[in-house]
Amino acid sequence: MHWRYMLYVVGILVLSFGMTMLVPLPACLAYQDGGTQALLLSLGITIVAGTCLLLAFRKARAATITQREGMAIVAVGWTAVGIFGALPFYLSGDSWTIVDAVFESVSGFTTTGASVLADIEALPKGLLLWRSFIQWLGGMGIIVLSIAILPFLGVGGMQLYKAEVPSPVPDKLKPRIRDTAVILWKVYALFTVAEVILLMIGQMSFFDALCHAMTTMPTGGFSTQNASVAQFDSLYFEIVIMLFMVLAGINFSLHYQLMRGKPLAFWKDPECRFYLAAIAIFTALVSWDCFGAVYATAGQALRYASFQVISIITTTGYATYDYEQWPAFSQMILLACMIIGGSAGSTGGGMKCLRIMLCFKFCYQELFAMVHPHAVTTIKLGGKTVPDDVMRSILGFLALYMGLFGISAVLLAATGVDILTAIGAVAATIGNIGPGFGMVGPVENFAAIPAMGKWLLIWCMLLGRLEIYTLIILLVPAFYRR
Amino acid sequence: MRIVIIGAGEVGYHIASRLALEKKDVLVVDKDPEAIRRVAESIDVQTIVGTGSSPEILLEAGIREAEIVLAVTDSDEANLVACLVVDILSPSTKKLARIRSADFDAYYSSFRENSPHIETVINPEIEVVKTIERLMRVPGAVDMGEFADGRIKFVGVYLTEKDRLAGARLSDLPGMLEDKRLLIAAVVRDEEVIIPKGNDQLLAGDLVYFISEEEQLLATLSLFDKHAQPIKRVLIVGGGRIGYRLATKLESQSIYCKVIEKDARRCTFLADKLNKAVVLHGDGSDQGLLSEENVADIDVVVTLTNDEETNILASLLATRLGAGKAITKISKFSYFPLVTAIGIEQVVSTRLSAINTILQHIRRGKVLSAISLKGEQAEALEVVALESSRIVSKPLAQVAFPKGAMVAGIIREEKIIIPTGESVIEPGDRVIIFAKRAAIDGIEKLLAVKLEYF
Repeated sequence: MHWRYMLYVVGILVLSFGMTMLVPLPACLAYQDGGTQALLLSLGITIVAGTCLLLAFRKARAATITQREGMAIVAVGWTAVGIFGALPFYLSGDSWTIVDAVFESVSGFTTTGASVLADIEALPKGLLLWRSFIQWLGGMGIIVLSIAILPFLGVGGMQLYKAEVPSPVPDKLKPRIRDTAVILWKVYALFTVAEVILLMIGQMSFFDALCHAMTTMPTGGFSTQNASVAQFDSLYFEIVIMLFMVLAGINFSLHYQLMRGKPLAFWKDPECRFYLAAIAIFTALVSWDCFGAVYATAGQALRYASFQVISIITTTGYATYDYEQWPAFSQMILLACMIIGGSAGSTGGGMKCLRIMLCFKFCYQELFAMVHPHAVTTIKLGGKTVPDDVMRSILGFLALYMGLFGISAVLLAATGVDILTAIGAVAATIGNIGPGFGMVGPVENFAAIPAMGKWLLIWCMLLGRLEIYTLIILLVPAFYRR
Repeated sequence: MRIVIIGAGEVGYHIASRLALEKKDVLVVDKDPEAIRRVAESIDVQTIVGTGSSPEILLEAGIREAEIVLAVTDSDEANLVACLVVDILSPSTKKLARIRSADFDAYYSSFRENSPHIETVINPEIEVVKTIERLMRVPGAVDMGEFADGRIKFVGVYLTEKDRLAGARLSDLPGMLEDKRLLIAAVVRDEEVIIPKGNDQLLAGDLVYFISEEEQLLATLSLFDKHAQPIKRVLIVGGGRIGYRLATKLESQSIYCKVIEKDARRCTFLADKLNKAVVLHGDGSDQGLLSEENVADIDVVVTLTNDEETNILASLLATRLGAGKAITKISKFSYFPLVTAIGIEQVVSTRLSAINTILQHIRRGKVLSAISLKGEQAEALEVVALESSRIVSKPLAQVAFPKGAMVAGIIREEKIIIPTGESVIEPGDRVIIFAKRAAIDGIEKLLAVKLEYF
């Protein structure tokens, strides 16, 4: 394990990340509503810290990055970026405590979208943009971006890429990892620009359109409005945002295939079919359940049900309606959506449709083997056999995910919140969704959670974004043994 | 440039890692998921698990956009079939195949002219036999290559403490050597390739690479106090395909030759095919057998069994018993630095030969030949300087060469010129360039983009 080299790479990441703090500055200067000083100060601190790390370990060299180092770089890099990203919030006013600032920042990077702010609109425009921008960076991944931009990461890039990309078996779209990273970011940026344009056609202001596009594509869910998307009360905006949420929850290699002229790419992919079918079925069930009970017309029921189901299953977390007013059946469906999440290789969180599908197939295979004890069976996906080690890693993931979910909910309850809030808040953070149930429902926020609870949820958000293994490995003693 | 490599064995793996470092788009296909995983985890290339001769897999690998396909699986037949399928799917793709069986020796040109239109058949065994012959003839050489159709040799020798050049600075050389010329191109010290400049010193223990015309070679080697001795007796340990090929060659040159082979049936075969050579049944690392056969009188021992440990031991034993020198076949690249440390200097490898031949063809077009230095950290390229190139018609000092690369020689008509900063390359010259691995991409750009207006 090359610790020095790892810190050297993290130094470069922090330094490059410091530069991105220039992005929200134009908004600060244009609106002149404060935050400029906080941003510039944070920029200075981050760059100095990055440079110090860089210089301190400049002599460290490693021939290649092993899987172990790749995981360490990603885990430490994400933690560092989460903390430095909190500086603009912390330095912008006295009302921010350290835990609140870090919570807001990590919630941004991990594309969770949970906020501790009761009055979002009071925040200076520059910081609002910063909030959305860090979600955008975190969505496709800061490491993937670094691989695309920093040439020296090319050699060990695959190890870093595997540690960050949310998928049990990451696709390599091009022979070289750097080209793959560039393509992913291009597709991502293209969708974002398209959404900005479509929102602006509907008369949304450029600032709001930009902020919402930058939080839709990463399935983040930070809004510039206190009441989230409900504030606009516009069917057109809801449809545009729904469309891009659905796209963001699909594996980005399918988008690439589609753009390369394979129109049936979505249909041919079994995971994508599963994902779209889940959206359709859940929407139908919730609409049916809410029609009459909550909404007077079927159209209304469909409008709110579809937006909320898509927003939760893609783990975005925008709200157009307080779903805690819905019947229990609909709320349980939303809880299921939180756990399922988007597709592998998308920007969505949760457990991912692919893993859920394969778990079902695995269970069926076990049952089949009981009926035919001598049968030789393999688990197939789209006509291809899933290797045993992939299956094993998925089952391990399932066990860890559920185990950590349970432990975190118990620990959160220990800080003094009620059962519904404990389960809802952990589901909302470990799945990177945002709004949960109880005290942290769609019309409330996370401010009321005790400080210890917030640290716990920060940990959950990172666990969810880095898909458990990359982060939890740091707690395994064998990881540090030579 | 997209290159598809079929077969992720030792050769496929090393070619892939070389090309990936040079920023080429490489796809590796192999049917063994384990082999593919080894490639995917350590090299920045795309990988596909599947049979390399399957049209479906080849299309998935984007064969139609590929410039070159390399078929280097362990099976000759699989390589041939893969090339045949590629020929049907994408006739414009250049096909290189490794074929080892001697049965096909006479048919290489047929494979080129008829389907599957294999541009070059790589038979590393033929290459290895050539290398062994060269190493035998050149005293003290541990590595050797050829440029300009063999008129120019490129030789690596170890400097020992007794040599008069040990400790000399490059700038002192002209004074020390009077009228003789010595063109030192590269020095390997502690496994690092150094491209030496005027002030650098040559130290005992260095592996020194120099360039020399064919006629001057023996005179140049005498500068290193290596003197040619005629070769009369050769002992070959291991009568496999390479051993058999070498023995036939030596027989035709009337060199007395003994072959030791462990397998009795193979011995019968060899005795049947070879006329003058003495075939011995036994173990090459058996001290009794070696002294019985008077190994002290043997000029060169060549160890060629399939077991590298046996080769290493037999070579050590033979030199200890008094043999003139030993040439050892080793396949595992990781052994190279080790064997030098225990005193085995002359090493040949089928895999390294295959890689050299393949590289030469990948670089072809602008490049006439390409030779990897020992340990493959650097390459020597022979290129033709075209008129439109950025390297011609101005003093070398003004050409923007990438770091770690230098012009080692200029061949104009029949002369070799040792370049200085003021030398000017003229269009049509052949230029020998030494480049470290990291500089190769830059060199290719310097030569390619401007040369042929891509």
